[in-house]
Amino acid sequence: MKTTAPANTSVSKPMAAEIPFNKPSKLKRMEQFKDLLCVIPALIFLVIFTYYPIVDLFRISFTDWNLIKDTYTYVGAKNWIWLFQGSGWDTFLQSLKVTALYTLGELTITLVGGILLALLFNRISKPFSAMRAIVFMPKYIAVSTSAIVFLWILNGESGILNYVLNKLGFESVAWTTSEKTALLSVLMLTAWRVVGYAMMIYLSAIRGISQDYYEAASLDGANGFQQFWRITVPLLSPTTLFLFVTTFIASMKVFQSVDVMTEGGPYGSTQVMVHWIYELAFKDFRVDRAAVVSCVFFIILVTFTAATLKWSNKSVNYDS
Amino acid sequence: MKKVLAIVLAAALALTTLAGCSGGSTGTAPASSSSTALTGEDGGAPTADQFEVTEPIEIEWWHAQESQYAETIDKVIADFEAQNPNIKVNAIYQGSYTELNEKLIAAQAAGNTLPALVVANTPYVAEYGASGLCEVLDPYIEATGFEIDDFGEGLVASTQYDGQQVALPFLISTQIMFYNKTMADEEGIKLPETWDEMDAFMEAASKDGRYATVFPGWDQWYFEPYYLNRGVKLVNDDQVSTDLDSDLAIETAQKLKEWCDKGYAYWAYGTDASSIMRQNFIDGKTFSVMHTTSLYNTYVDNCDFEVGMHYYPGDVTRDSEVGGCVLLIPAKNSQEVKNAGWKLLSYLCSKEVNMIWASESGYMPTRNSVLQTEEGEAFLAEKPAFKAVFDNLDNINPRIQHPAWSSFANIWKETMAKSILENGDIAADMKNAVTEMNEVLSDA
Repeated sequence: MKTTAPANTSVSKPMAAEIPFNKPSKLKRMEQFKDLLCVIPALIFLVIFTYYPIVDLFRISFTDWNLIKDTYTYVGAKNWIWLFQGSGWDTFLQSLKVTALYTLGELTITLVGGILLALLFNRISKPFSAMRAIVFMPKYIAVSTSAIVFLWILNGESGILNYVLNKLGFESVAWTTSEKTALLSVLMLTAWRVVGYAMMIYLSAIRGISQDYYEAASLDGANGFQQFWRITVPLLSPTTLFLFVTTFIASMKVFQSVDVMTEGGPYGSTQVMVHWIYELAFKDFRVDRAAVVSCVFFIILVTFTAATLKWSNKSVNYDS
Repeated sequence: MKKVLAIVLAAALALTTLAGCSGGSTGTAPASSSSTALTGEDGGAPTADQFEVTEPIEIEWWHAQESQYAETIDKVIADFEAQNPNIKVNAIYQGSYTELNEKLIAAQAAGNTLPALVVANTPYVAEYGASGLCEVLDPYIEATGFEIDDFGEGLVASTQYDGQQVALPFLISTQIMFYNKTMADEEGIKLPETWDEMDAFMEAASKDGRYATVFPGWDQWYFEPYYLNRGVKLVNDDQVSTDLDSDLAIETAQKLKEWCDKGYAYWAYGTDASSIMRQNFIDGKTFSVMHTTSLYNTYVDNCDFEVGMHYYPGDVTRDSEVGGCVLLIPAKNSQEVKNAGWKLLSYLCSKEVNMIWASESGYMPTRNSVLQTEEGEAFLAEKPAFKAVFDNLDNINPRIQHPAWSSFANIWKETMAKSILENGDIAADMKNAVTEMNEVLSDA
């Protein structure tokens, strides 16, 4: 049986030959070069201060450098073995768990608290403007300053929170010194700081949603909750994604509030990953081990962020 | 094209890491200059002339002394500059000892922003010394005739590494028991001289909800003398194991817990534990507290009763450990900067300046010669409670020096706090902790 080539083969070749390759014009090439020149300073900055340190971190993880010595020895995978097969593994898991719990807490506060406050403060009047400003303000107060104030408020012996609890007939709580409540104490400060910012972002997004949707839904008999759930929430999904990604990265990197309020204690119950890395590098002088933990943590962060962005491409509604 | 680029980048990354796997080879971290051996012109011992400052120079001194000491620092530096017109000193407050440590090692790694002189908390001396951060001061001491023998033996040892003098004692403190002297006199409370007398003391000094004392559990430095004086080796001679699971150590831990369980004392723990403990003492809620001598002025200024100081009770020995800070010269500096740094260091560690600090703070006089002088008598007349320290200057020992000490101490204090505060089985908890501690020690 004789086989024949597909009919379109003979057609496509001459067609391809007929379409000339569009070489960019000289003017366009000049434009592209100009664009490149504009980004080069930023690119150099990124290479020197971001990409090179990341690569160098991997290199340091194979040394025994302690940051003070002028010389170091390459020790192979010793530090990686310490993390995955040695005494570092349990602390790593504990630290990862604490970081995940903290992140979950901050994400919940930011996304749920932010949207609820945005709905509450979505009024155009002077008193509401003033109240919005008050709720938003903590974002711009230094974390260490806020943390010290919260330490006073949460002081187990003389803190005002325990004073109020006692007046209401409750027992005093060892807020920052009990492993049951220490992470919650740090999250209280976080809530106070971040919820106003999330509210403002949501508020601007809510005001961008066309009223036509709500009018149409009302005509169809949708109640307030249905309108919120079926219109507001889906149309806020790009804002939610933005807040999710930025809050996720920021909360995974939490350090200052933990350092001031609990120093990672009690008994490691607030030992978030960055604080552990800091202690390894600057208290134990084990920069080599800090580098290994940083590398693994970096991979975890990148993987989660990439997965979130990929998921968002499928699930986020950009039609508002 | 994109795929190719990605593969190339990934390969480059892999190569970088693989290069690191070649165990045994060595590398060099960035450095601006290195320390060179100091010798005299004829190759012998260096002479004092080599350490003279002949040209005008401006140097930095990094310290951790808070604002309440600003006036003292200004006064001391002004006097120094008047005596050394070639040297201009910028005294820079760099935050707490921890923050100062971060900045110092960052500057050391960068190699070009190091101060001429820097203070360091005593536990850092070992690691700094082992890493070559500090200039070895022996040639300076020898050439300029600096009276190092006038310091207590323990103080000199605490500023040495591997037999070399890498720092000098500056603002020195030690563990002490502050007590309410007015209360002690009124109620006839006898302070414990030995470990065996502690039970009677605890019972006598605690009443009507008042504690006999407080154990500062936030820092093991405060409770380690009890172990050391009973003969427990915190780090054994093999440097890879601890004696903290021995019968004696477990018995000591159980006794500390028992006193807390009975309500005689409480275990202060957490970031605000120090301030709460201090306030409890000021308010009369506890008869005594164990703290650092450097806080003497703070207690005296805030208490409306007479404050006494009592040296920790002993057992086999009756020693305490050095606290506070030392002064060192970073070795990476140029010789001109080091010379100016040495001038400032020797001035700040002089008897005269030390007495200024001692009278204006709770830090101790560090010179033996002061004790028998009019200055010493005047100091004791002003601060009579310091007699407890003066009587024991030779019993103040260096802190334990081990590269893994920080991790080791952290496991210890966390275990003690958890077991005492959450009513655990302290014997079992300590035995478990020791497994981890031994691992940390042997892994250093």
